[in-house]
Amino acid sequence: MSNSTDRKVSIGAYIALAAAIIFFSGLLQGKGALSVFDFNTLNGSFGTMANAVTESADGINVTTTTMRGAGGFGARDGFMFALTLVPTVMFAMGMIAVFEHYGALEAARKLLTPLLRPLASIPGSTGMALIASLQSTDAGSAMTRQLADDGELTKRETDIFAMFQFTAGATIVNAFSSGAVLYTLTNSAGESVVPTSIAFAVGIMFIFKFVGANLFKLYLNLTEGKAGKKAVETAIEGEKA
Amino acid sequence: MSTAKKPMITDIFVAGAKKGWIIASTSTVPNVLMAFVIIAALQLTGALELMGNVFSPVMAVFGLPGEAAAVLIGAWMSMGGAVGVAISLFDAGIMTGEHIAIMVPAIYLMGSQVQYLGRILGPIGTEGRYIPVMIVISVINAFASMLLMNIII
Repeated sequence: MSNSTDRKVSIGAYIALAAAIIFFSGLLQGKGALSVFDFNTLNGSFGTMANAVTESADGINVTTTTMRGAGGFGARDGFMFALTLVPTVMFAMGMIAVFEHYGALEAARKLLTPLLRPLASIPGSTGMALIASLQSTDAGSAMTRQLADDGELTKRETDIFAMFQFTAGATIVNAFSSGAVLYTLTNSAGESVVPTSIAFAVGIMFIFKFVGANLFKLYLNLTEGKAGKKAVETAIEGEKA
Repeated sequence: MSTAKKPMITDIFVAGAKKGWIIASTSTVPNVLMAFVIIAALQLTGALELMGNVFSPVMAVFGLPGEAAAVLIGAWMSMGGAVGVAISLFDAGIMTGEHIAIMVPAIYLMGSQVQYLGRILGPIGTEGRYIPVMIVISVINAFASMLLMNIII
């Protein structure tokens, strides 16, 4: 696992990573033919159905609704709404699988590896486990345990890495399987209402995962002294960082 | 990857979409349904309005209505549930698209931690005394991300 740090990553993998970021960033939304490379554009919209027909002085007015209907409440409304989320989840996961197949995550691992020590005080050999943890908390934690048992990680590094995984766990799968649907919300006129994009939100989460790891490191420094040294003065309870 | 028979790109997409179908049917739908029921119950009893008033001063710091606290509480238990809560508050006209954009990173940063205690910290073997600290840091992360998003948007 850990000897894969230096595996070669093809140029295609970097292209796949860049394509994935652009695809989910919304950058090409509404850019004519280029919008074919935009997630929300391809995700499309539901057709509408007639909801109510009223007659007024101006003639006949028809209001429309989606298949969810209008005016629902409670579990049944929740179910109908949840059904409208299914295609977004399927589409997002299908595209993630494609980008992953072309090496997007490999490229991300390669780019991240040299940054792990300076940014999170964990060795570059955790790159593989880190990328796995973005997709599956179970895979990430199992690989971390393995690294710790093999002596690749000190106890302190293991704890910091656990903190990294614990905040925004399985970031990619969770964000794209549930968060992506939030960016499909529209107002009554059918216009998209949520500014920013899922890719942007994932970027913010990623930054804060590093923030979390560093806050925990700070906590360890305050309560147990700098790297490695066992806590002698446990009496000093320096609560949160 | 190179020696095995190369799968068609369509097969890869379909395999991923199938995974999406399983996630949607076994996680998204039940979680959203639960969130709608909880919000319906909170609305009927007036607890949602009360919550909105109580948390309004705190949430206002992040440019959010008080009711948005329900999203964070839900997130801690289940990310999918929190998304459902956010959507039902959007439907009720309590939260806007901007409010949701502010909250998305926070939902995940402190999300599903009840579950992840067992699935991340358990297998890694993190000492019990660190767990409260890690939860507090996750919550700090969530609130800091809302501050940042409120500035950006």
